Amino acid sequence: MTMPAISVKGLIKRFGDVEVLHGIDLDIPQGQVSCLIGPSGSGKSTLLRCMAFLEEASDGLIFINGEPLGYASGPQGKPVRLPAARIRAVRSQIGMVFQQFNLWPHMTALGNVSEALKTVHGVRKSEAEERAMVQLKKVGLAERAGHYPSQLSGGQQQRVAIARALALEPKIMLFDEPTSSLDPELTGEVLNVMRALAADGMTMVVVSHEIGFAAAVCQQIAFLDNGKLLMTGTPQQIFGKPRHPRLDQFLDTYLDRGAAMLV
Amino acid sequence: MSWKLFELLVQASFYTVLISFISITIGLVIGTAVSAASLSPNRALSISGRTFVSFFRGVPLLVQLLLIYNLLPALGLNVPSVVAAITGLSLCTAAYQAENLRGGFQSVPRGLLEAADMAGLSAFQQFRRIKAPIALRLALPSLVNEAIMILKASSLVSVVGIVELTRMAQDLAASTYRPIELFSAAGLLYLIINWLIASGGSVFERSFRWGRP
Amino acid sequence: MNFDTNLILSIMPELARAFGVTMLTWVAGVIGAALLGFLVAVARRYGSRWLGYPLRLCVEVIRGTPFLIQLFLLYYGGPFIGLSLEPIPAGLLGLTVYGAAYFSEIFRAGFEAVPPGHVEAAECVGLNRRQIIQRILIPEMTMLVLPASVNMAIILLKETAVLSIITVPELTLVISAIGSQQYAFVESLFLLALFYWGLVELAGRLGRYMEARFSKYRFVTA
Repeated sequence: MTMPAISVKGLIKRFGDVEVLHGIDLDIPQGQVSCLIGPSGSGKSTLLRCMAFLEEASDGLIFINGEPLGYASGPQGKPVRLPAARIRAVRSQIGMVFQQFNLWPHMTALGNVSEALKTVHGVRKSEAEERAMVQLKKVGLAERAGHYPSQLSGGQQQRVAIARALALEPKIMLFDEPTSSLDPELTGEVLNVMRALAADGMTMVVVSHEIGFAAAVCQQIAFLDNGKLLMTGTPQQIFGKPRHPRLDQFLDTYLDRGAAMLV
Repeated sequence: MSWKLFELLVQASFYTVLISFISITIGLVIGTAVSAASLSPNRALSISGRTFVSFFRGVPLLVQLLLIYNLLPALGLNVPSVVAAITGLSLCTAAYQAENLRGGFQSVPRGLLEAADMAGLSAFQQFRRIKAPIALRLALPSLVNEAIMILKASSLVSVVGIVELTRMAQDLAASTYRPIELFSAAGLLYLIINWLIASGGSVFERSFRWGRP
Repeated sequence: MNFDTNLILSIMPELARAFGVTMLTWVAGVIGAALLGFLVAVARRYGSRWLGYPLRLCVEVIRGTPFLIQLFLLYYGGPFIGLSLEPIPAGLLGLTVYGAAYFSEIFRAGFEAVPPGHVEAAECVGLNRRQIIQRILIPEMTMLVLPASVNMAIILLKETAVLSIITVPELTLVISAIGSQQYAFVESLFLLALFYWGLVELAGRLGRYMEARFSKYRFVTA
């Protein structure tokens, strides 16, 4: 078996006195789409943010393509923080897409996508913009390159955010509820871009409420509840019967909410 | 009122603009440092920053001006009174600008910096490329407002003997016995200058629209 | 600075009177400015256009010119149009009119910030215009304008020092006079600065306490 793209081992995360993740073990396979689902407050976004090192684990380790992220196992089994340059190098393999897009409002779409190429990687402006255009084309927004975020719809902003992450050629893409702050009619364009990315063989981890997307596109689904990983498996294993009672409850609420929207 | 008098007022108003402009510029530099200090994780720095802001916003500018005007010679610094006046105005506006900038920096959404973090920008690059431009944009309207406040407040430097617009109007009113005309004319000049600052400010703001209508 | 008990005792009555003048002009000025400002805001919102435009002009002129110029105009120019005022009434009138211009803007913003839906809801249940102002707009506005009003009250406290220039015998004038008589100008000014600083901090704290007490009335904005 090949090495997992992300390997989470015994991850514990506390905010102050509150433990929100109680020892998570999870492998994200290469070249597949994995979905994290669960009720709000279950810790799925925190888990994803730990994988991006936007939150630092209180205990446990995370490996990106076999390399420790942020902390490595120390002599007494206590995690030790790695030097900043090492953290940066491992992190550069990860791209992140946020629920709130987080596009920089003072830069155009092209500016957002080319920014890190220019300031971090020292790529010449013309080349950086050329490479940024390739990514904008990929998400279908080449003709919007000169627009500022405030001139784009939510769906377009999120597609620019995806292009921004892709421009740095990450090996893994993390999506934190990428469609949750979009109007329902705009989710499709973002999900389509994600589907195309999956078809290209990108390793993706998606926190989502889109159960339909999870069932159709994901090869692996992980169900979190109350800071614990209750089950992982293929969509057939997770959604097929018999189901875990908590998952049943979660799906019921989800379907109720869906039904309520139709009424 | 004769044209001659009005001309004298216009000349004096250049002095008002000059003193205000110098004070605002110095105040912006000090204010940036003070806002950085009050936001610093270092407790001593942040307390001194906040105390500076609280003191200079808590004491009437007139009292500050009188204090500095008399304190500098008492400390053996025999500087022209215009230096004392500019020092007082600068320190006062620095406190207000520091507070505006602090607000601007604190209102930069955290997610924008997380995105920069994920893109690999260093702390300094994040400050230079993301944090500073957005904070400045957010603080811009209050900075323009502050410029207008200082222009009006500069009338108080007349009490330490600087012949700017207010003092000129006062002197001319005393010698011609025409206070209504002279003070009205001075007020009109203040209005015009403030209107110019406000329009200049909104033109400047429009160049930072970033696509918003 | 050497402490001379007799000297301190001898200036006490004068200081007490000056403190009284500062507090009186401040408190009376704030109350007067808030009331006048409220009337101006109501007149501009609900009065005729022929009232609204001149009022707007007055507000803009007062906000666009230095307080000191306004005081000079009132105190030195007043007698020429039959308005001869003693320093204290002149200062109080000046402070009230000056503050009213700013308060009217605070109230105007407050009126505008009340969601139109709240007024529409009141209209639907049959409240008339006066009842809507009294029962809906004013209570909701109080919460909205409180922080800015406290801020304005603090600004007016600091502006009372400017009244010393037209010889209102308040603290700044009296303390500067005593200080220069006793050759302790810097020391007395420093004490004066500390006094204002303390009072401003106290007023600010009181304001935040009031905001916290009123915060239960704050409506949720989406």
